[in-house]
Amino acid sequence: MDVKPLLLWSDVLVFLLVISLVLFFYRLRRDPQTRERWGQVFSSRLGMVTFTVILTYVGIALLDSLHFRRALDTAQGGASQEVFYDNKVTSVLDLVLGGMGDRFERTYSAPFALKSFEKQNMKDEEGRAIRDFPLLEHAGRHLADPADRWPDVLAKTVTALLWGLLLGSIWIAPQWWWLRGSANPWYASWGVQLVVICLGTWAVVVSRYYHILGTDLGGTDVLYQSLKGVRTGVLLGTLSTLIMLPIAVTLGVMAGYFKGWVDDLVQYLYTTLSSIPGILLIAASVLLFQVYIDLNPDFFSIGMEKADARFIALCFILGVTSWSTLCRLIRAETLKISQLGYVQAAHAFGVSHSRILGRHILPNVVHIILITFVLDFSALVLAEAVLSYIGVGIDPSMGSWGNMINGARSELSRQPPVWWTLTGAFFFMFALVLAANLFSDLVRDAFDPRSSGRRSEA
Amino acid sequence: MFAYIVRRLLYAIPILIGVNLLTFTLFFVVNSPDDMAVSQLGEKYVTPEAIAAWKKKNGYDKPLFVNAEGAGLAAVTDTIFFTKSLKLFAFDFGRSESGRDITTDVSTRMWPSLAVALPTFIVGIWVNICVALLVVMFHATRLDRWAVFVFVCLMSISYLFYIIGGQYLVAKTWKLVPISGFHADAQAWKFLILPVLVGVVAGIGSGARWYRTLFLEEANQDYVRTARAKGASEIGILFTHILPNALIPILTGVVVLIPSLFMGSLLIESFFGIPGLGSYMLDAIKSQDFAIVRSMVFIGSILYIVGLILTDISYTWADPRVRLN
Amino acid sequence: MSGHVSMKVTDLRVAVAEDGEAILEGVSFELHPGKIFALVGESGSGKSVTSLAAMRLLPEALAITGGAVSVGEEDLFDLSESQMQRVRGRRVAMIFQNAMSALNPVQTAGQQVAETLRLHTSLSGDALRQRVVQLFAEVGIPDPEDRFSFYPHQLSGGQQQRVMIAMALACEPEILIADEPTTALDVTIQEQVLDLIRELTESRKLAVLLITHDMGVVRNTADEVAVMYRGEIIERAPVDDFFHNPQQAYSRRLIDALPDLSRFQSIAVEEPLLRLDEVKVYFPIRRGVLQRVVDHTRAVDGVSLSIGKGETYALVGESGSGKSTLGRAILNLDEMAGGQIRFHGEPLQDLTRRQMLPYRKRIQVIFQNPYSSMNPRLTVGEIIAEGMVSLGLGLNAAEREERIGQLLQRVQLEGDFSQRYPHEFSGGQLQRIAIARALAVEPELIICDEPTSALDVSIRAEVLELLQELQREFGVSYLFITHDLSIVPSLAHHVGVMQLGKIVEQGTAEQILTAPRHPYTRALLASVPRVDP
Repeated sequence: MDVKPLLLWSDVLVFLLVISLVLFFYRLRRDPQTRERWGQVFSSRLGMVTFTVILTYVGIALLDSLHFRRALDTAQGGASQEVFYDNKVTSVLDLVLGGMGDRFERTYSAPFALKSFEKQNMKDEEGRAIRDFPLLEHAGRHLADPADRWPDVLAKTVTALLWGLLLGSIWIAPQWWWLRGSANPWYASWGVQLVVICLGTWAVVVSRYYHILGTDLGGTDVLYQSLKGVRTGVLLGTLSTLIMLPIAVTLGVMAGYFKGWVDDLVQYLYTTLSSIPGILLIAASVLLFQVYIDLNPDFFSIGMEKADARFIALCFILGVTSWSTLCRLIRAETLKISQLGYVQAAHAFGVSHSRILGRHILPNVVHIILITFVLDFSALVLAEAVLSYIGVGIDPSMGSWGNMINGARSELSRQPPVWWTLTGAFFFMFALVLAANLFSDLVRDAFDPRSSGRRSEA
Repeated sequence: MFAYIVRRLLYAIPILIGVNLLTFTLFFVVNSPDDMAVSQLGEKYVTPEAIAAWKKKNGYDKPLFVNAEGAGLAAVTDTIFFTKSLKLFAFDFGRSESGRDITTDVSTRMWPSLAVALPTFIVGIWVNICVALLVVMFHATRLDRWAVFVFVCLMSISYLFYIIGGQYLVAKTWKLVPISGFHADAQAWKFLILPVLVGVVAGIGSGARWYRTLFLEEANQDYVRTARAKGASEIGILFTHILPNALIPILTGVVVLIPSLFMGSLLIESFFGIPGLGSYMLDAIKSQDFAIVRSMVFIGSILYIVGLILTDISYTWADPRVRLN
Repeated sequence: MSGHVSMKVTDLRVAVAEDGEAILEGVSFELHPGKIFALVGESGSGKSVTSLAAMRLLPEALAITGGAVSVGEEDLFDLSESQMQRVRGRRVAMIFQNAMSALNPVQTAGQQVAETLRLHTSLSGDALRQRVVQLFAEVGIPDPEDRFSFYPHQLSGGQQQRVMIAMALACEPEILIADEPTTALDVTIQEQVLDLIRELTESRKLAVLLITHDMGVVRNTADEVAVMYRGEIIERAPVDDFFHNPQQAYSRRLIDALPDLSRFQSIAVEEPLLRLDEVKVYFPIRRGVLQRVVDHTRAVDGVSLSIGKGETYALVGESGSGKSTLGRAILNLDEMAGGQIRFHGEPLQDLTRRQMLPYRKRIQVIFQNPYSSMNPRLTVGEIIAEGMVSLGLGLNAAEREERIGQLLQRVQLEGDFSQRYPHEFSGGQLQRIAIARALAVEPELIICDEPTSALDVSIRAEVLELLQELQREFGVSYLFITHDLSIVPSLAHHVGVMQLGKIVEQGTAEQILTAPRHPYTRALLASVPRVDP
């Protein structure tokens, strides 16, 4: 089958991001103090577990960032040489999931249900019009008797888990070989990896026969939607922070180092910015950008690109409006460092301003940047849900947990309540944010001089 | 002290001008009144005449900064910048895009907001401090570690789930209180309990965790060791020495929020149907009523600046070392 | 030693809770009423841990693994925590090093003393207040009635320490543990506080455990002395015997660090290298609505001095006297408000950053705190090379490396240290690296800003000796800024005494130390410990 790779702007940014992060950490390895601190983070089981969880999410996000468009069948016998491509964009993740996203139902259905959630007019075998719950298109069609459902699920689960264990062992064995002598608790990470692989295999296998988390109002598989939300969440968290970092660091360091009018100006800027209610500023900016998109529809050839543009704009807006906290921290730290002996000594050696900033100040505020990066990440993932609720978040055509919650928030009042969409979004979001929060605690313990000072003093 | 407050108030002026310029740029320069008219009218009804009529009705038909046709002062006053931006300084918010008087709306809607936000704020701080103190008493035990883990878990749950979960359990399943709504009379408490409860519970994770850190930081200070050497008990030290000192950083984080309580909470108010400023803002955003958004940005900034000044004043009260000058 | 024993510490052992590493290995001593027992040692010797363990106030990371501490009939280690709380402050009281941080900043001085009384006595109301005021008077706090409602930050350092003492003595304890009670204080104040402790020991028949690193304090205050080294008491003797006939080599070293006021540097009159004329450095004080400059803090207020080639000029003064600011002004790091600085006759004041560059090579600096004066993220080699690179010494990488090796060798750091990072070194080693860094650009003048005050005494002597050796070898001049008169005799050719931004007296070291004319110099000198025969 013919495919055409498609590079969305956000995909480009993601891969640039990954490359720069890898380079950044590679360079940091040179510095023994940093290495020691990372060692402290990874010497704890919690550090290993949370980091593996975060990496899993990042991995899913990366798979979901390799986009392509399928060629449409030229059914009319190849009259034209031109190949038309599907307007629907597919990602590698969709392939891995084995078409989980293509198995649509009419509307809501509960997890592992065989029938739809709503009654419908149909005809029975004798052609009489009746009103009943219709059978689902893609769930339990292989079953001879509906009563076989749970034994069948169990059997499929066992096979899937066996496959999962096998795959997991193949995946972990080389790591085990490679890291034999390491003092770090890698086994904790392997445990998580094994669980993730087993769950993944199980989900892919079982979802061929059932909707594991049910379907939503539009009949889309909820598990699939939750997985698609991973990319949005991870990207929003990292991109926004990355856009905010250069602004905050440059202004903060300049204010703290040069003092005087530069400091006054920077302080004025961040006080002004933080005095504006954040949510209003973000909402207004997003709305204005939306107006711009609406008025210039020709810029985007397919809907996905439009949604992507809005997504990037959102990241930019979140980044540009949220630098004041970090800037304040870095300014304070720079003020402190500027008074220290080594900066004074550098002045006495006639070292130039740019060299002092680059060699003495910046490397010594990196820990603040790092702590903020991890902390903000989880805050942004949570913020996405709220923004989507307000209507200034991710484009509804792009999967996100916020959109899922927004779509299903009032459905709990149905009888019986539709709880599965919220549950799916809840767990996928909770696991990521929890892992990031716990990890950021560890990073802070290792890198914050105040907390590490307490430890060494004791 | 007096000179200090006067100076802070003077310093607020450039900040408010900055806020004003920023919003003006956002709303009128980046996005021209024509764009606004198009999105307000909807694609279907866009004709040059309709746009002109809409602009005239809402007062957007003037030039941005300088009116060449105006005589004398009118050259400056009869502009969008003057009528829409500068008048905010006189607390003249004008009319919303739908024609309502914003000043009246704000003054009636801030009280329901306050009715929810103030109890949430006070009860929240009280609960957080109590929980944190309790955890600090068990410092370095298994209970402490688990408590911190639970705090982080609570922090990791989206605010939306607290609201949805609270409504589902308390109001729908247990039927203890109405799901949403608001009454300004004696029945108000019925409608307030759930939003306040949700607000408090949602804040425990981050709040109690933060206070715990502050308490522990103080517990490592030299004067605590002095108190132990005097023969004071651990509980006594916690209440007479650690708590008063930890109140200082707590104040910084908390006092700045007090004026902003008038603004209410976007989420709580819209979910619980409380006719406050939070839901007002949300409606404005959803209907793209930029006149309201502009006014609320201005009010929000003023309240924030007042919060900053209050914070500094509260310092002098809590910390004898601080003198403002 | 005979007579009644107030506190008896037997075979006290303390270890790190986590890995069992021993901190104290069997410490034993007794305290007698009316006597001061001094426990001396350098940082990390375990002397503070001993006192905290005796009070059962160790941080959680440390654990008592053996031994006994008895007060009267009671063994403190057998008591429950609440029984122990009745002992602390009532029978055994403690005062700590840094009174500013050891006092609760948000409670008044009076309240804090009253708390001790309230915990252990039934006093309340006016009687309580009267008792506190009486205590304040006893420890020599002026205007005790008023001072009751002062917060710690409104009191001077000496008064804060007096409040601590009043707090400790409030319930008439039998035993007082004083953990470095005077270390954070200026020398003249230090003397007064020690006098007070001595007086109270006599008048109240207190048994005092005095913990200190300062042999001068021991000499002037203690009755009996024990030297601690790596968690053990290595020598114990009555104070006179100890100073005249120390048994251990380590004790000898500690005593030798005390100044000898009979030998001075010979003066070699040379051409002047640096001349200061009426140098002033002011910091503005802003007030009012518009933050106008209403006045200035006169940090340095008209200082004139001159330093010859190959000479050491010691600038002595207490904290806040403006001596460090003067050093920064010479380096052009602080702006001058007036006066002239001439280096080889060329004016240095008002030079721009760029114009100053040629002089940076010739005037260098060593700072007080060795830990903060090195960027933790650079290797020692990079740190030393920094000046050579930025001042354009015209060396290539290989030459630089060779020079770094030579320098490290010259400051007695053997081995391949240039690839290591600062945190791997001790304070003394770091200060040697700082010296090497300054020497790297071959300066003619080095401003030494309290280079040894963060170091232990035995290491201090080595660093000072190294500085002198280098002076002889390279003919470099030092402006030696210090608060410690005791290191002056062996080091300086000229001395200037600075108080409140002015030099009150200057002359040769011998003049100043043997025949001081200004009362402030005399006060400083009186507090210098000395080992008289």
